[in-house]
Amino acid sequence: MKHFSTCLILVALLCLAVLAQAAPPAGFAANFVQTRTLPGFAQPLVSHGQLRFSTAQGFSWVINEPYHYAFTLKGDTAREVLPDGTQRTLDPAKTPWLQAVERIFVSALAGDEAQLQRYFTVKTTPAKAGRHVELTPKDAAMAKVITRIDVTESAPGKPQHLVIDEASGGRMDIRFTPLAGTGSK
Amino acid sequence: MGKRAPGRWALWLVTLAALCALAIWRAGGGSPIETNVLALLPNQHADPALDAATSRSRDAFSQQLLALVSGPDDAATRTAAQVAHRALLKAGLQDSANGTDIGAALALYRHHGFALLDAGESGKLARHGATTLAQAVAVALASPAGMVGLGNDPGGYVGRFITHLPRPYPDFLPDGKLLSAQRGDRRVFLLRLQLPEAAFGAGGSARAAQAVLIARAAVAKSCTQCQFRATGAALFSNAARLQARGESIWLSVTSTLLIMLLIALVYRSLAPHVLGFLQLGASVAAASAAVIAIFGSIHILTLVFGTTLLGIAIDYAFLYFSEYWFGTSAPRAVFGKVRAGLAVGLATGVLAFAFLALTGFPALMQMAVFSVAGLLEAAVVVALIFPVTLTRTAHVPPNRLTDWPQRFIARASRPSRWRYLLPLIVLLLAAPGWWQLRTHDDVRALSHFPASLVTTDSAIRTTLGRFPATGFYLVEGDSMAQALAREAALLDRVKTRLPQSTPLGLSRFVPPPAAQQRSLATWQKLFAQPAALRAAFTATGLPAALADHVETAWQNADKQPLTAAQLLKAVPALQKFVLPTPHGVALMATVFGTRALPDAALAAAADGQAGVRYIQPLTRINDTFGTIRVRATWLVVIGYLLISLILVWRYGAREAVRMLYPPLLALAVTLGALGWLGVPLNVFSVVALILILGLGRDYAVFLREVGARERSAALSVTLSALTTLLGFGLLAASAIPALHAFGLATGIGIAASYLVTPLSLPPTATEDAA
Repeated sequence: MKHFSTCLILVALLCLAVLAQAAPPAGFAANFVQTRTLPGFAQPLVSHGQLRFSTAQGFSWVINEPYHYAFTLKGDTAREVLPDGTQRTLDPAKTPWLQAVERIFVSALAGDEAQLQRYFTVKTTPAKAGRHVELTPKDAAMAKVITRIDVTESAPGKPQHLVIDEASGGRMDIRFTPLAGTGSK
Repeated sequence: MGKRAPGRWALWLVTLAALCALAIWRAGGGSPIETNVLALLPNQHADPALDAATSRSRDAFSQQLLALVSGPDDAATRTAAQVAHRALLKAGLQDSANGTDIGAALALYRHHGFALLDAGESGKLARHGATTLAQAVAVALASPAGMVGLGNDPGGYVGRFITHLPRPYPDFLPDGKLLSAQRGDRRVFLLRLQLPEAAFGAGGSARAAQAVLIARAAVAKSCTQCQFRATGAALFSNAARLQARGESIWLSVTSTLLIMLLIALVYRSLAPHVLGFLQLGASVAAASAAVIAIFGSIHILTLVFGTTLLGIAIDYAFLYFSEYWFGTSAPRAVFGKVRAGLAVGLATGVLAFAFLALTGFPALMQMAVFSVAGLLEAAVVVALIFPVTLTRTAHVPPNRLTDWPQRFIARASRPSRWRYLLPLIVLLLAAPGWWQLRTHDDVRALSHFPASLVTTDSAIRTTLGRFPATGFYLVEGDSMAQALAREAALLDRVKTRLPQSTPLGLSRFVPPPAAQQRSLATWQKLFAQPAALRAAFTATGLPAALADHVETAWQNADKQPLTAAQLLKAVPALQKFVLPTPHGVALMATVFGTRALPDAALAAAADGQAGVRYIQPLTRINDTFGTIRVRATWLVVIGYLLISLILVWRYGAREAVRMLYPPLLALAVTLGALGWLGVPLNVFSVVALILILGLGRDYAVFLREVGARERSAALSVTLSALTTLLGFGLLAASAIPALHAFGLATGIGIAASYLVTPLSLPPTATEDAA
């Protein structure tokens, strides 16, 4: 459940896309800046990277700075490229969270809002451009790890700012800038 | 009723009551009936830890009920699953998954996080030091699946430990309070429940079956496209119980009515019914009491098999009745006429069964005591009660029904070459069947299950994608630490040999102390070089301050290993793996596979491992049945040879051989027929063979002692054969494999015994009779 909950970066984005469109989202691609605040550690950790997901290509999460790391998920196969360049494939049998994410991923791409609402209380309010979406875990075990997820759109279906508050006191703040020349613009 | 009658009745009742009182005293107020098949094993094999483990394994398996609710629509299927879950709980079942312990366990793991590195992680950290940790922290920070708990889990090692904890159905993920998985285009919800009582009792199995019916109806009402399927030992037990009850009713009613009709047609009186029932009841009571008085309890199999064997005792009654109603003796002289036949029949029967007591094998010793005591009591009833009850002269004229047995015996005893040729031909026909005989001691043959139940069970196992091993490991140690170390080594070995398997044991939840010490030592060594740690973090792209933060967390952490006692206190459900033993502790571990696991490989993994055994309860029970079968067979053979000594003493060697060979011929025919029919031999068949030999021997003795020319002897032998055929032969119609085999063997054997009985008489003697 612990790992599963942290995949809510992906889940939250998909949720937003689903909520914004009646039709399944075609995909999304953006640069991002991630700022992690760790409990008991004053200095925020900042990283830069790119996020892409689409029905055809699956999900790709790449950190470029301050070190290189890549995570891809396609079907039920997940791969990682570690900072020292080594690659590893995650064993689905040992990563149940991966199966759960894959399930949500597929249903989200299929526009299945009910699936997402099973896990979260979804509160949507209009913002300047687009909306502000607040996700609160319904499951008690999940709530022990994540207290809240906030997503702010730059336009309907286009996430601009994602904040995940962890129960431990940590926080993950991600700001997106859509990549030039993608359908997400 | 004469003057002697009250004294005889009193003597009989007092002796029987005294025996029963002794048995009640010996039983000590508890239930005297033992149902544990393993109690039939010889004492030298007794092993309390093994018995406790087997019992616990059986309960865990038998009380579990698995249900699947599947459907094409997620939401509707979920609702239907919740409805089914509520219905099952309301019907008295309990949730087998207890999620309340998870939080406590996670807290313990987090608290002892530095002690939980596995061997691979320890090795890697030891080899590459701080660089490995820095990279692990970087990945934990960067991964969308990463979660950083810098306080006690830098690098996400504890997270991985928790993720790798064994789960019996890994494809099924938490879905609300249930578990679910996608199978094709259907969402499948798994409901795991437990019976609050023994699944093999009538109450438990009926409750489970009723709960399943209610849940199925609830699902059908909630979601028309959904399917509800359930399996569990209790459902099989219920089906077997209903089947056995249905069969026992129609078989016993049919056989009882036919036997009563036969007796009524022959004797035209109620007295044989009453006295026959009295004799059988007294025999079973005395036999049971004798076994309890000697052994302290009676095994259910002894009761069943022994009562069957006491079918021999009805011969004594028929012999007496036939002489009384249709013999040449006056009522007072009847017992004198049949006494010799009874004595020889009783002596040979007692000797044959008494010999079983010398084996030191509890199953056969109980059977011996039961049979000997039962036969003696049957003879006592005939000797004491029958003469003072049947005192008036019978007025039933002989008729065709009572005369044809005599004519058959006489005709079949004429000197003829067919007396030699027919047996030879029959033997030649039977011989090929002997080579087709096979043995089958599977205890599951005791039950017959509906095909639909078997199919559903198979489909559910396939959907779950997990097949539990048929056996389990029992790992013993002087201490918990030793047992955990042995189990961890064993399960690693299993995992290496069967990579797709999922071992499940306490060491998967709490690593052995030595492994935890190794983990702590690895961290100790790594944090002893803070400069190197900072350099590694910086080189990876992480701030040096983060290295300091991690090191401080280590300095403040509890560096004690997590103990089994702590975990068991936090998660009592894990106690199911632990068994205290007189010399330390024993752990039970099992293995799940994606398909049926090879027992040979699982057993081989335990070979040569100190304190480790692979236990297969079903195989153990089957082996017990097999051993009883083999030993009983040999003892019957030896007992039969001993009986020949009595017959030699009584009739001379030549006539003894003549009397002994027809029952053996019947036995050979029975075995050949079973071989031809493809009916396997099991312990039930052996009981049938003992019955066949015993009755065949009695037939020969009665004809000799009462006189082959006598109507009463021929009639008693014929009635014995017919009633045995009706009583036991009808079991051949049973759908339960073991009963079918027993009935078939008895039917063929008794028919053959009766038909070859004239061969036990010298041709000239019977010609006189004709």
